[in-house]
Amino acid sequence: MKNYQLGEFEEIVILTVCILNTEAYSVAIKDEIESRLTRTVSMGALHTALKRLEDKGYLKSFSGESTEDRAGRPRRYFEITALGKKAMRHSKETRDELWKAIPNVILDAKLNKLVLAYSLV
Amino acid sequence: MKVKPPLFALRFFQWYCTPELADYIEGDLMEVYERRLKNGRKVKADLLFIIDIVFLFRPGIIRSMDQSPKFYHSVMLKNNLKLAVRNLWKNKVATIINVFGLTVGITSALLITLFIYHEMSFDAFQPNKERIARVIMEYGFEGSTDKVKGTFTSTKVAPVFSRTFPEVEKGVRMTDADMIVKLNNEPVLESNFMFADSSFFQAFAFDMLEGNPTTALNGPDKVVLTASTAFRYFGKEPAVGKTLLIGNNGTPYEVTGVMRDYPTTSQIKFDFLASFSSLKANQEETYFNANYTTYLLLNNQHAFGPLQEKLHPFMENEMKGSGASILFYLEPFTDVHLRSPYADFTGSISITYLYTLGGVALLIMVIVCFTYINLSTAKSIDRAREVGIRKVSGAVRSQLFWQFIGEAFVLSILAVIVSMGLAILLLPTFNELLNKELDFANLFTPTFLLGIFIASLLVSLIAGGYPAIILSRLQPARVLKGVFKNTPSAKILQQSLTVFQFAISLFLIIATGIIQGQLNFIQNQKLGYDREHVVMLSVGWNLSHQQMITLKNELKTNPNILHASRCSSSPVNIYSGYSMRLPSMAENEVISTNANPVDAGYIKTTGLQLLAGADFTDEQVDRTRAMNSEEDKFYYIINESAAKALGFTSPEDAIGREMELNSVGTIVGVIKDFNFQSLRTSIQPLVLFTASWGNRLLVKVKGDDMEGTLAFMQTKWKQLLPHRPFDYSFLDQEYEKMYRSEVQLGQMMNLFAGIAIVLACLGLFGLSSFMIQQRNKEISIRKVLGASAFNLLGILSGNFIRLVLLAIVIATPVAYFLMREWLDGFVYKINLEVWFFIVAGVATLLIALFTVGIHGLKAVVDNPIKGLRSE
Repeated sequence: MKNYQLGEFEEIVILTVCILNTEAYSVAIKDEIESRLTRTVSMGALHTALKRLEDKGYLKSFSGESTEDRAGRPRRYFEITALGKKAMRHSKETRDELWKAIPNVILDAKLNKLVLAYSLV
Repeated sequence: MKVKPPLFALRFFQWYCTPELADYIEGDLMEVYERRLKNGRKVKADLLFIIDIVFLFRPGIIRSMDQSPKFYHSVMLKNNLKLAVRNLWKNKVATIINVFGLTVGITSALLITLFIYHEMSFDAFQPNKERIARVIMEYGFEGSTDKVKGTFTSTKVAPVFSRTFPEVEKGVRMTDADMIVKLNNEPVLESNFMFADSSFFQAFAFDMLEGNPTTALNGPDKVVLTASTAFRYFGKEPAVGKTLLIGNNGTPYEVTGVMRDYPTTSQIKFDFLASFSSLKANQEETYFNANYTTYLLLNNQHAFGPLQEKLHPFMENEMKGSGASILFYLEPFTDVHLRSPYADFTGSISITYLYTLGGVALLIMVIVCFTYINLSTAKSIDRAREVGIRKVSGAVRSQLFWQFIGEAFVLSILAVIVSMGLAILLLPTFNELLNKELDFANLFTPTFLLGIFIASLLVSLIAGGYPAIILSRLQPARVLKGVFKNTPSAKILQQSLTVFQFAISLFLIIATGIIQGQLNFIQNQKLGYDREHVVMLSVGWNLSHQQMITLKNELKTNPNILHASRCSSSPVNIYSGYSMRLPSMAENEVISTNANPVDAGYIKTTGLQLLAGADFTDEQVDRTRAMNSEEDKFYYIINESAAKALGFTSPEDAIGREMELNSVGTIVGVIKDFNFQSLRTSIQPLVLFTASWGNRLLVKVKGDDMEGTLAFMQTKWKQLLPHRPFDYSFLDQEYEKMYRSEVQLGQMMNLFAGIAIVLACLGLFGLSSFMIQQRNKEISIRKVLGASAFNLLGILSGNFIRLVLLAIVIATPVAYFLMREWLDGFVYKINLEVWFFIVAGVATLLIALFTVGIHGLKAVVDNPIKGLRSE
């Protein structure tokens, strides 16, 4: 079985790339993550993650048009590869399996505690 | 107008970012920046822009260091090494000069470092060094403003202080003495004999091999030996429990311990350490009789200040109504060897000497580096073609740069290794010169080796750096076309380096000359007494007057022995505080003076010059020993300064007048002022008084048959004083001992200044050879056109003369001011004459001319055809 390694932040980035579909370039990805997850993303972290994902072969990139507000610099668009999709699926499946493996007691217990706390109020 | 983000940040980003991402990320940065500008103020946008760039500085985005195509490194290295060796071989003159210069320079620097390290590491082994204080006493008499300060203290200080002040943990009283010890029934004069309180072992480091340190010095007549002394006296047998007969009367001392010898870097040095109570000195009677050194062990290293604050009020209270003032100061133990004006037990050294020597070492290294830079820039013409070919074949600048630095590094590492060997070989000679026991083992520590490595790296960077930059910057196309010449900037650099080398050399010549001149001045100074052919014998305080008379009379039977006088101090160094007054002066008014007990014939023996009156006679000495003290009569001989201080108008005026030293007596003579202390101090009042005690006998001999006379003295001595060893020294040696640190400095300066000058000349020699080589064609053409040899030499050396003149202009004022500063430390000193600087300047000029002349002459004498047909 192939080992798909995907860090937490990398997973978020790759998901966002999928969400943005054809509009996925660095600033857009940053904005998207920031608005959806209410966390700030530094440019450095984002670019490192993108580069790493590309090196792993989960993303591919191509140069886009250059625009005036970017001082004539081109955009770089990202797209998910087949390998990237596999990795995402793999990641989701492993998570699901893990979720399933958790004994009900624990989740229930939490619920009970909540109820208990509620009744005390 | 478009608003721009901070440019420096952008530049920084462009510098570090890997090229494949640079454009995209820069675009992102700009886009975000624009957006932020619209939403907020510019300052905030700028700040966030900078923060973004700082956060982008991370692996993955930073460009990789190594962009050059990879080579097989071992092959390249081999090739470079081969080329380096070939190059060194090809430029034999430059190589020899460089290697020789570097080796000599580094060897000198190593030896100086060793010396400085040795002096700096004094007492470093003492575990309590941070909280030990040496007590300095200052005393003066009421009615007199003179104060005398020194390391002398009385026996009272240590016990009273440790009782009164909680800061003082222990007090240690110490004194060193010459003691007679019987070795195999033969009396031996042991000069490294020390008495100390039993608290010595609590304050100072020790390594007891035998015996118990807590009880070893408890009670009188106990002695601890060092291991080497124990071996000398008892061989391999255990020493503890044995008895040694010590002192004039052969008092039995019990050996209670054997400790490891102190390292050579200890200010406290002894072979014997006897209990202080053996001295049977009074314990707490008085603050006077200050003949001992006191050390205090404080309870922590910050107690110096608080304790010092309490000392003055305490002492003012103690001395109330005594007519004298005594104050005490604390001196940190760690300052004693290098930073104290007062000597320690071993003879301290001033830290400025160490700075001076360190400076000389640095200057030598600078000269050597300059020579390297000069020679490699000069020969860079030869290597320009190589650089061109390398560049065409794909070498990048950094590669070439490191190649040249590497060559310098190989050379300097080689020089370091050779220098280490050389320094080890030279060390015994160096030690002999300095009278020191330096040991290289001290230096072979990881720190030192690392330091050496870093130093050689630094030297190769400094020395190799400039040529490497010049060579690696060459344009291959131009070089290969053959139009390469030394750049103007290189020429300016070469010239200014030459100027500095010569300025340094000239400075050292002047400094050495002045130091030497001052030393000669000190040594040949008419001191007012004759120190030639005066033998000093140690007779001991206990020798009776009668024995003394017999000895003197016996000695005088030899026609070679002229005079003899018993005294406490020789004229070389008289240092004992007394107070004097005239009966006519107000009740408690006194004048501080030095005084020396002597017996008959002192003036004749030492050749002091009488201005009025006469020398002491035997009868006058006898009068001091009358059985009842009522009839004791004292006689005084005073010096001019004392006469002036007492208010006499002329020397004759003083004769026959009454004066009071310890008791009333008559002035019988006035002598001319002479230097009875170091030449660093001015002459003070001095009184010689009649006494029949004193531990020294000065004997004036004819210089004719010194060995015979000494042998005669020894046989007489053996007959009359068999219980005392025959121990003699010469007065002029004593005198030189006083200026040992100056003499040492003078010798070291001579040596290293000489080395510096030779190295600077070597540099000039090499440089001029290359410069003349370059002008070979010009000289040949001039010669063909009929220039005379003299003419040509003038043209060739003119340039160098200009440089040397410039060096003279730079170095002379610097040398003048620095040396004036140094001379100001002496009261009696030479003047800084103009001719001194002229001679030094002319000498430098001549040396330079000579060096350049050798090459010039060769070029001038050569057949011009040789120079012209090389195309």
